Amino acid sequence: MEKLGQKKIDLQKLLAPAALVILYVFFSIFGNNFLTLDTFKNILESSYYIGFMAFGVTFIIITGGIDLSLGTVMMCSALLGAYVFKQLQWPLVAALLVTVGVGTLFGFLNGIFVAKLKLPPFIATLGTMMMSQGVGSILTNVQSQTWPTATEPVGGWFKKVFIRADILGVKGFPVGALWLAGFFIIAALILHKTKFGRYVFAIGSNEEAARLSGINVDNWKVAVYTLSGFFVGMSGIMYAAAYTTITPGTGNGQEMNGITGVVIGGTSMAGGSGTMAGTLIGVFIMAVLKNGLSACGLQAPWQTFFTGLVVIGAVLLDIYRTKAANKVKKS
Amino acid sequence: MKKTKKVLALLLAMVMVLALAACGGDNSGKTNDPAPSTSDPSTSDPAPSTSDPSTSDPAPSGEKMYIPVMAKGFQHQFWVAVKTGADAAAADLGVEIYFNGPASETEIDAQVNMVKSEMAKNPKALALAALSTDAVKEILEECASKNIPVIGFDSGVPDDTSGAVKATAATSNEAAAAIAAEKFGEHADLVAKMQAATSDAPVVIGCVSQDAVSASIVGRTTGFVDKMVEIAEQYQPGKVAVEGHTKWEKKVDAPAIIIQVAISATTEATAVQTAANALLNTNGLAAVFCSNEGAVTGFLAAVSDGEDLADGGKYGDLVVAGFDAGATQKNAVRQGWFYGSVTQDPYSIGYNAVAMAVKAANGEAVSDVDTGAKWYDASNIDNEDIALLVYD
Repeated sequence: MEKLGQKKIDLQKLLAPAALVILYVFFSIFGNNFLTLDTFKNILESSYYIGFMAFGVTFIIITGGIDLSLGTVMMCSALLGAYVFKQLQWPLVAALLVTVGVGTLFGFLNGIFVAKLKLPPFIATLGTMMMSQGVGSILTNVQSQTWPTATEPVGGWFKKVFIRADILGVKGFPVGALWLAGFFIIAALILHKTKFGRYVFAIGSNEEAARLSGINVDNWKVAVYTLSGFFVGMSGIMYAAAYTTITPGTGNGQEMNGITGVVIGGTSMAGGSGTMAGTLIGVFIMAVLKNGLSACGLQAPWQTFFTGLVVIGAVLLDIYRTKAANKVKKS
Repeated sequence: MKKTKKVLALLLAMVMVLALAACGGDNSGKTNDPAPSTSDPSTSDPAPSTSDPSTSDPAPSGEKMYIPVMAKGFQHQFWVAVKTGADAAAADLGVEIYFNGPASETEIDAQVNMVKSEMAKNPKALALAALSTDAVKEILEECASKNIPVIGFDSGVPDDTSGAVKATAATSNEAAAAIAAEKFGEHADLVAKMQAATSDAPVVIGCVSQDAVSASIVGRTTGFVDKMVEIAEQYQPGKVAVEGHTKWEKKVDAPAIIIQVAISATTEATAVQTAANALLNTNGLAAVFCSNEGAVTGFLAAVSDGEDLADGGKYGDLVVAGFDAGATQKNAVRQGWFYGSVTQDPYSIGYNAVAMAVKAANGEAVSDVDTGAKWYDASNIDNEDIALLVYD
């Protein structure tokens, strides 16, 4: 009985990758010019920044928390990075450090609010969501900011390093994919191979039990939110590399792209279970869906509608998955 | 366990069936309105910017005339240029202005409060670019009863019924976007393509817009589409279709030229990019017009910041025109990746708004002013008169 249950769980893990493949094939047949190298590159490019957000928040969701500030913190960090580069004439490297630093700082703040001040994660990160949006607008005096484009004399390397470059004999090689892959490996190693990762799962499964077994839950939680903040800062860089112009007052709603990716990838919103590989696949499913639906020539409202449908589906799946997992545990 | 699988299978099937139905079926979605852009809970206050009273000559009356100039926001560099124009007019005419606007163009309530507190100062006139006419209705009625003339600027105060709004200084969006279509009509390669187009291999001309709600974007899309149809009809009479959005749709049997309107799902750059990608994948695409800075940003992200548009690039033959300015768009124009772009004259908008407000406050008659639009490309972008208009 036990063995049978195990096997079914494994099958379930294959569902997300299978859905990705099926969607890809589906759109290749019905979409307009979907099955091309260009479209594949587009899908990759539109998933970089969502991927980084999703990697970070995977840790948080596994501890049973949530982060609603992802989108606005990402914009805030990209905004301030561009601000110090363009307006204050800082070197680009310093601007990149500012970008990652702002993300990390907001992550740390989230951690303090949640772990030390005992605010519910939903409320704490709702607060930082607004704060980060406000900070970005205040410091830039509500002016949109631009990162350097590839042809600019100062900082022209920015795009080449983070998004695409003519290397390895390929024109417009998607360099960003290497960053995504690299940080995916790092995130997966941290989650699945380190003490830090084991504690993340322990806190998510049963916080009280973790506390009683001597884990300093509060400190580890601060670390988890801070790590996630770092990833959000990285996503700020990737967003900037893709879109160049950053507008203050935007970013609301982007967090849902990240969170949806995590949930589709099989991480339970209740905490305690999830994989980094699942998150990566979830992010790609979102990107394929977005590009595929518009390749089908669907008008805007339809795209929004289907994305909503997928969110509902993913959460429903999560509920049934948790139920099934509990059944297996009991048997 | 079984249940899980069933739910999963059901969900997947539902997505497929619905997508298939929507894909294959008639795409005339009834709701044309994309989700409204995100609300902005930010609490920031833009730094108030008062004009410097020491630099200008005092008005003859001794006391300077005070005119509040309420803009729609500070987000875009556009408003900085408007303010420069307004300040210049204030200095020329010896009046004091107070230029302010909400932190973002979604904060209707913030703008209403701002205008209300200005009303308490009993200004001689008010220049206003309303985010929502309905929201300032009472204020307009108060202005009408107190005889405070209101001058609209930029998008102005549309559908005012109180009679307080005396005139508006604005760009005609239709006329401005039509400039881009006219320029397409002067492009030799594009004209040759339109002449050679057949129903079997139709030529597609795209228009990327970030929404189908805002009056200025709708106006520009309409202006471009109408003019483009008119031009295309010269080469393929009766065979020009407009597709992509019900608002502009014009069906023709076996079209040789298709004007494809691509409206983004949301106003976020990410969504515009997705819409642009789909458009770029359309067979026969020969030209694209992007109707504002947001559309340009998303479009450029889809073509490697414009590098794909360079000669010999992936889309080297594509003719692209933009609207407004901004650092990335200016770069694309300067490099010659864009055929050119249309810019409004924000300086003139600001200058005229203040000048007209002063006139109206002095009891003179005022009438609407079209502040005009200009075409700029790699050859004239650095000319003095254009450089003043194209903000970073």
